Amino acid sequence: MVKAYINGTGCISAQNTISESWFFETITPPNVDYYNAIEPSYKDYIAPNLLRRMGRAIKMGVTAASVALKNADVKEVDAIITGTGLGCFEDSERFLLALLNNDEQFLTPTSFIQSTHNTVGSQIALIMKCHHYNYTYVHRGFSFESCLQDALMLFNEGKKTILIGGVEEHTPNYIHLLRRAKKFQAQDSSVAYWNSKTPGTQIGEGASFFVLNSLKTEKSMACIEGIQTFYKPKTADDILTKLNSFLKLYHLNLSDIDVTLMGFSLDVNFDEKLQKLLPIIEKESCPAYYKHLSGEYHTSSAFALWLAAQLIEKQILPKAISISQKTPTSIKRILIINQYLGINYSFMLVSHV
Amino acid sequence: MISAIGNNVAESFLSLSHSKTGIGKINYLPTRYKDEFLAGEIKLSNTDLKDLVKDNSPDLNRNSYLAMLAAKEAVLHSGIDTKDGLRTGVISSTTVAGMGKTEMFYKEMFEKDDNLNVLDTHDCGDSTERIADYIGDVDYVTTISTACSSAANSIMLGCRMIKHGLLDRAIVGGVDALSKFTFNGFNTLMILDKEWCKPFDENRKGLNLGEGAAFLVIEGENALIKRNGKALSEIIGYANANDAYHQTASSPEGYGATLAINQAITMSGLTPQDIDYINMHGTGTPNNDLSESIATKKVFGNQVPKFSSTKAFTGHTLAAAASIEAVISTLSLQHQLIFPNLNFKTPITETHLVPVTALLKTPINSILSNSFGFGGNCSSLIFKKV
Amino acid sequence: MEVLIEKLKRQVIEQLNLVEVKPEDINPDSPLFGEGLGLDSIDALELIVLLEKHYGIKIEDPKDGKTIFQSLTTLAEYIKANGKS
Repeated sequence: MVKAYINGTGCISAQNTISESWFFETITPPNVDYYNAIEPSYKDYIAPNLLRRMGRAIKMGVTAASVALKNADVKEVDAIITGTGLGCFEDSERFLLALLNNDEQFLTPTSFIQSTHNTVGSQIALIMKCHHYNYTYVHRGFSFESCLQDALMLFNEGKKTILIGGVEEHTPNYIHLLRRAKKFQAQDSSVAYWNSKTPGTQIGEGASFFVLNSLKTEKSMACIEGIQTFYKPKTADDILTKLNSFLKLYHLNLSDIDVTLMGFSLDVNFDEKLQKLLPIIEKESCPAYYKHLSGEYHTSSAFALWLAAQLIEKQILPKAISISQKTPTSIKRILIINQYLGINYSFMLVSHV
Repeated sequence: MISAIGNNVAESFLSLSHSKTGIGKINYLPTRYKDEFLAGEIKLSNTDLKDLVKDNSPDLNRNSYLAMLAAKEAVLHSGIDTKDGLRTGVISSTTVAGMGKTEMFYKEMFEKDDNLNVLDTHDCGDSTERIADYIGDVDYVTTISTACSSAANSIMLGCRMIKHGLLDRAIVGGVDALSKFTFNGFNTLMILDKEWCKPFDENRKGLNLGEGAAFLVIEGENALIKRNGKALSEIIGYANANDAYHQTASSPEGYGATLAINQAITMSGLTPQDIDYINMHGTGTPNNDLSESIATKKVFGNQVPKFSSTKAFTGHTLAAAASIEAVISTLSLQHQLIFPNLNFKTPITETHLVPVTALLKTPINSILSNSFGFGGNCSSLIFKKV
Repeated sequence: MEVLIEKLKRQVIEQLNLVEVKPEDINPDSPLFGEGLGLDSIDALELIVLLEKHYGIKIEDPKDGKTIFQSLTTLAEYIKANGKS
């Protein structure tokens, strides 16, 4: 089966991951109902004549991509694939509000152009002068997974180096409206994140990009063995059945998985099935969680993949993300089980190189 | 397929065969420019669409209605049964998504709580999941958004997933309803024509926006044989390349377009001389039609096949365009007809290409269909007669 | 004319989000497009909106922008000749 090797990563998130040396030294406390990304000085990454037009999602995506490319020491890729659920929302909103406030007059093109969902991917292509395959996936909690699925198919078709990434942004207005719609909550410190009894997630934002290679090189930090998505499973048992079938493809059982990163989102309704699965995972593997670091958004599984690569490289499972008291003796394999809105479920299998 | 030229494939075929354009006055879109511009608007209100879909769910919007109707038509037409144990995927595309409804309620949301749930259906994945739920027993869903090449990319992904053994069949295509957001966006780019668009004409001034949805059921050979199904056409080549020139404009030499066309032809195993007809992207903008003409001449030299743009029928339906044109290409192959490039008088001075301007009955074995979008996203598909 | 040119400098910087550019950096006779400020076709569309919003001048054909937007001076002269406000 085709594998993908992670040769470079770049991550902007609610943690100081853009500093690249970050590994749990400081953690943004989860007692807020939404996270802002910790952003770098974009001037250090993007030329001013391009920067002046970019909304935050584009800046985050382009920067994370350029960090990944630099870390991989790669200047050309065979494909650029980006995932985003909401797209360049800041620009969409800017154009929309101008339209509504001025009754469709005196509208300017820049925010409209920048609001198209494939702007991040096409901006990266423009900067790299890359004429190759360029796709943007925009399906909710499958946006990033679809990128990865596509990359594995492209490797099967003979491509060698692919840039993929997930990006999401929120705006003050969006936060305001979602708060009024009671979509959020801050974590109640008396209740474990993975045992929530109340609805609401902590919304986050960020960009995580990866340079993937079809072959292992000295830069390879982890290996993506496989990915599977599935839509609206009916029960936790459904998920478990699918999970076992998925692992069987790689001749594995749950007990072969050293760490299982689980996409608990703090929302009791969305987390319901994962909560039911947790005892089984706890028995066979070391369960961990991550959305208290990233916040919840359509492409938070990209953050999970970035985190998995860090854990494998450093061979440490920090207490800050560990669910049980178990610690693995070594981290050879990580399984990411993500869910979004309790509707989009995915498995990603990541291994040591 | 549902668009300005018909509410289903049969109606669309009648319009195409009788050179009956769907572009006209705007009736439903509440824009202040209603009387200034023409568009390819579907002649149905949201209430009409709701009645056709037979779903009173309040969180549906125009985009979802169109997607559900077109996808259902495709499934019924194909005769597939999603409960038969074969793996079915829905791969859709959209750029407008729920913006048509969001723009109606966005300001109000800051004052009242009544319509906050509109935000839940704002994103691109919503209409795809509506299709999946409407059809039922769907194993895989995803959505693509690459501007005007979106649906071609959906079709391509479906083909590749079947080839890789990840799916047995897929319902692929795209949808975009008209919205004030998109309408005004294109207006700020000054690429709309206030009159009927003139693809490939020297005096073209811009595009007419349209709306619609079109889906195709594509199956691998094994799945088709297993259920004794009948193919209407075959997809034998496809490619996606990037112009990497400008955010919205195509490069003067049509670099990305040339790449996509050449790669698709190479993949198909055909040579340029084998292509019998090109369904061009042909939006009617000064930039696209010249760039596409130059790319066409680069690939085909002095032997440019018969070609037409059908956007003077439907308008430019953005993320639905490539799948609408895939349906039109399939109709062309089935009936051995080339549908005309309406409203053409004078060839472009630089390139002198003359499209087919009247309905033409002629042998067609293979069709090249182009779709080029913002962000330099260029896609080409090749269809073959079965 | 000087006043108009100084006003235009600030408006252009704001409209095009030229955060690194100060009014005193702009030579009114230097080309706006290509070299000089290095603006592109999207900026031309933005300037068309600026003309309508601040000076009540509507440009129907974007190709007209080529001559009008050659430099800040030509832009100012066009506004003086055609402006309503």
